[in-house]
Amino acid sequence: MPTRPLEKVLYVEDDEDIQRIARMSLERVGKLSVEIVTNSTEAIARMKVFQPDLVMLDWMMPEMDGPTLFRKMHEDPEVAGLPVVFITAKASPRELEELVRLGAKGTISKPFSPKDLPDQLRGLWAAIPD
Amino acid sequence: MDLVNAPQQSLRDDPNLALIGKERQQTDPRRILADRVEQLYDQLWIAIVAGFVVGSIATFELWEPGFRGLVLFWWALVSLMSVASAALLLRYRKSRNKLAEADRWLRWLGLSALAIGSVWGFASAVFFPSHTDEQQVFLAFLITGVVTGGVPLFSGSWPIYALFAASILLPFAYVLVNFGNPLFTELAALVPVFYAVNVAVAYRLSQVFVTGYRLRYAYGELTEDYRTLNKRLNEQLVELQEASRQVEESGRKLALFADRAPIAVTEIAADGHIQQVNPAAEILFGYAPAELIGKPFSILLAPEARAEFDRHWRTLIDAHKPLLAELITSLRRDGLELSCEWTLTPLVNGDGRILSVVAQGRDLSSQLEAERLKKEFTSTLSHELRTPLTSIIGSLQLINSGVVDKVEGEALQLTVIAERNGQRLLDLINDLLDIEKIRSGKFDIVPEMIAVDALLEEAQLLNRAFAERYNVRLLTRNECAETYIYADRKRMLQVLTNLISNASKFSPAGECVEMLTEDRGKRIRIRVQDRGPGIPEDFRAKIFTRFSQAETTAARQKGGTGLGLAICKHLMELMDGQIDFQDRPGGGSVFWIEMPKQLSSRD
Repeated sequence: MPTRPLEKVLYVEDDEDIQRIARMSLERVGKLSVEIVTNSTEAIARMKVFQPDLVMLDWMMPEMDGPTLFRKMHEDPEVAGLPVVFITAKASPRELEELVRLGAKGTISKPFSPKDLPDQLRGLWAAIPD
Repeated sequence: MDLVNAPQQSLRDDPNLALIGKERQQTDPRRILADRVEQLYDQLWIAIVAGFVVGSIATFELWEPGFRGLVLFWWALVSLMSVASAALLLRYRKSRNKLAEADRWLRWLGLSALAIGSVWGFASAVFFPSHTDEQQVFLAFLITGVVTGGVPLFSGSWPIYALFAASILLPFAYVLVNFGNPLFTELAALVPVFYAVNVAVAYRLSQVFVTGYRLRYAYGELTEDYRTLNKRLNEQLVELQEASRQVEESGRKLALFADRAPIAVTEIAADGHIQQVNPAAEILFGYAPAELIGKPFSILLAPEARAEFDRHWRTLIDAHKPLLAELITSLRRDGLELSCEWTLTPLVNGDGRILSVVAQGRDLSSQLEAERLKKEFTSTLSHELRTPLTSIIGSLQLINSGVVDKVEGEALQLTVIAERNGQRLLDLINDLLDIEKIRSGKFDIVPEMIAVDALLEEAQLLNRAFAERYNVRLLTRNECAETYIYADRKRMLQVLTNLISNASKFSPAGECVEMLTEDRGKRIRIRVQDRGPGIPEDFRAKIFTRFSQAETTAARQKGGTGLGLAICKHLMELMDGQIDFQDRPGGGSVFWIEMPKQLSSRD
């Protein structure tokens, strides 16, 4: 379990409505500092600037989908160590298993509950080994 | 096959014919003897009548004063013998055992012949010396006649005849020798010659009779054999006709099968060239039969699929192994590629030689395309419906939970309704997707070791709020601590959530829904029980089938898709578990699931 509490979250998501709901949920309910990235090609650069504790990746995105971005992160030592959680509306349990094996810390399925989302993230954060 | 083979069965093996042969060897001598005895008895009446008549005439002739007593005594003997022989004949006629007792009847006949002969021997011995010359000539003539007449009568058995003739001629010869007349002495010397000639003739005759009877039997048996053979041949002819009719019929049937079959059927020679095509193949591949016959089968396949097909073909030809439902990209005449499922079956004869190969092809292109579209649709449905629902339900949840601007009064009531129904819509989508996965057999189960304690706790946490909405308390009691199951955690929670939400919906307000465990030896049972109205009788049989909901107003008002329990049943079966329900004593229902217990938390 990480020694400090979860504070900064970066969410890569192309749907603007969901972006807004997630921001409200994480900021208002979860009292977290949130950075939202719309374009997945910019995500890694923004991660380097924002220095989040945890990254949330949407699965289906134009330009570059979540799993591809996830693999790209692994190639960059600056962001390779960031814990990643997938937010997805579609993916078979096998695919999710595969991602968890590759190092994803967990998956949250869409639609998520804005009321419970911060707790879910904190639960996953707490489960990360030191 | 039996019918075709039956006529080839050798006649030598025919059990009927073998039996005939055996019978012939067994019955021949006995039956021939019986027939000879019968013949002898058949002629006995002639001996009786002739003997009595001749005896009476002789009595009349020898009726001289001074001898009348003796002559009368002799006539009485003749009559006695005639009556005794007639009685014997009568008894024989009535006998039921002529065949088995032929020996005995022959001996009786021998005795009778001996007796008759002795009467005549008595006549020659007594009356010859005492009577006049004329009467002596008469007697000699009579005796010769009787001895000669006996030949046809008794020669059915030459020993009987020999006995008969000896009993007459011995006393006669004796009288001739002792008469003192040289002529008579010389005559006496001729008697044995006469006897020998007669017995020889009788012997020959008796041989002829035996041969005759044997021939008669042989002929009879031949006729019988012939009749049996004829019958068998006729039967086999009928069988052959039947077999040929069936072969013809099945040939017609086969032709009909191929002609009218909606799938492409082609016959391929062992060298890979097409021999025959059915109309469906013509239509599917766009060739006229003449264009295909004699061409290699691979003309119907896409060039990139030919190498793979060649490997299959070699296995088929070498090992006589059919190729079953293999999806091979095939080629229409106009170059369009088809996804065909081919089944190739070698036609092998009795010597293990391939006569030809029957190839049946089914065009699956449109079916595969439809499946692909459906999969795409399902996946799109999943994503495209969930994305807006994320926004809808998320927004409403944020409003209703009061973390954003305050909404109150009727507006709040409406947003709560909107959120609840958004959730219902989501449940429906999830259920439909689950059902679709079950139907296509693509339901993924990711099993892991789960502590039952933790599972129940999670189910309790997930469902407490839902139960509270119906003013129902959710109680959990685990009596199987330290018990593990091997299952998909999410799916187990899905099943438990389904059971708890059903129980909550139908429980009267203020009641409890209980989630309990029960140790059942190698298995653990988790029971979810309520105090609801129970399951209606007419709904019990179909409760686990798709789109089934009890036809009650209450059930319809509570909402739901009617898919939940069907999904639960599939899920439990996928995880080697079981699901069922029963009435709860004191009212309500118990739904339970059962899983095999695992020994430890380690996999």
